[in-house]
Amino acid sequence: MTEQQQMSEEQIKALQEKVKNMSPEELKEFQKKQCIFCQIISEKVQSKKIYEDEHVLAILDINPANPGHILIMPKEHYSIMPQIPNDEIAHIFNVTKSLSNSSLRALEAQGSNILVANGVAAGQKAQHFMVHLIPRKENDDLKLEVPQTSIPEKELQKTQEILARALGIKADQKEKIVPSIPLKAEKETVEADFEETIAKEEPTIEDKPEQEVPKKSPAKKKTAQKKKEEPKDKDIEEIPEQGADLDDIARMLGAK
Amino acid sequence: MTGENCLLCQIISNKIPSYKIYEDDLCIAILDVNGASPGHSFIIPKNHYPIIEQVPDEEMGHLFTVSNKISGAIFENLKVQGTNIFVRNGIPAGQQVAHFMINVIPRKENDNINLQWPPKQLSEEEMSTIELKLKDQIGSVGVSKQTPQIRKQTTPKPEPILDDEDDYFMNQINRIP
Repeated sequence: MTEQQQMSEEQIKALQEKVKNMSPEELKEFQKKQCIFCQIISEKVQSKKIYEDEHVLAILDINPANPGHILIMPKEHYSIMPQIPNDEIAHIFNVTKSLSNSSLRALEAQGSNILVANGVAAGQKAQHFMVHLIPRKENDDLKLEVPQTSIPEKELQKTQEILARALGIKADQKEKIVPSIPLKAEKETVEADFEETIAKEEPTIEDKPEQEVPKKSPAKKKTAQKKKEEPKDKDIEEIPEQGADLDDIARMLGAK
Repeated sequence: MTGENCLLCQIISNKIPSYKIYEDDLCIAILDVNGASPGHSFIIPKNHYPIIEQVPDEEMGHLFTVSNKISGAIFENLKVQGTNIFVRNGIPAGQQVAHFMINVIPRKENDNINLQWPPKQLSEEEMSTIELKLKDQIGSVGVSKQTPQIRKQTTPKPEPILDDEDDYFMNQINRIP
């Protein structure tokens, strides 16, 4: 990147012109060459890999917000989230979920933040889409602040109207559900107290007609309820000293 | 907890009014009335899951696909310069309601939202310890031959969210060295 900074204005102009005339494929190739994360993915640059499969790489952030801060990125070069196909989005965030689970256990964290920055104004620093997974502990001296404001009713109504129209909210129009991709190493990650949620192998909904989807919800609700009832007998107040236990975290929230 | 005491379950069942912007079989999206700015949205699964680890894979994928769609709609229609997708999972992470949800936060330059952090200094040794602990928990790292294929969707791809004219987003991104 320093090369670019040393270029004269003329060179920059020439480069801009070159980029402007590139075909989308050429542009992608060009971006890939310039992208440090693509170099990490192709192992030209070293990193501390935490998880890897055919589509996704997860590494430790060298400038962590907290110890164990992980970056999850698609191997394909995408600058921004809207460019990513739905099935890849689904996979990336399922990996993130699985890694969140792992970091709760391995690092005795008590929670996690997941953050995506789309655009420079949102804090995006690299040209390669990535998800930040930040393990959290109490009093960890990290502040991720989103100020609360009291938004006037008129503003809310106006915004609702604009967005609902843009999103085409209609009772009969339902988003297709993206089939899930089983995660590699899932079996190792899952432990007994958690298997109910993850190990459950549901038939994929890919090939079924949409109407069948809602049928599943009652069953799911039941499992959720069952899970909620269990902890009630136990001591709710206590904050798990060793983090790690998902039920404890769920219980702490339930206690609030 | 489900239904009776959960604020979000009551919003989903329309017992509490909300500014709904999207709904399907699995989730709804509403505006945060105390958001950082108008357009700050919550994407909420209809099933009651307190934390992210309890959300089944196919719902998880769907929730973030919808978040991406809503992020695109916010970007296109609300004259903002970016969005954050933000999840608070667990009390130390700032979660306040025991029902998993995803925040989509519209962003403008100098908008007073602080989702940056001063990097913590860790020694090489500390980093390696963390790496080992995590790998140990996750299992082996390396491309497995059994890595699942991403099933290609049969549905037509959605329209590209960015048009030529509102290329501010892309331009901003392309400005990153």
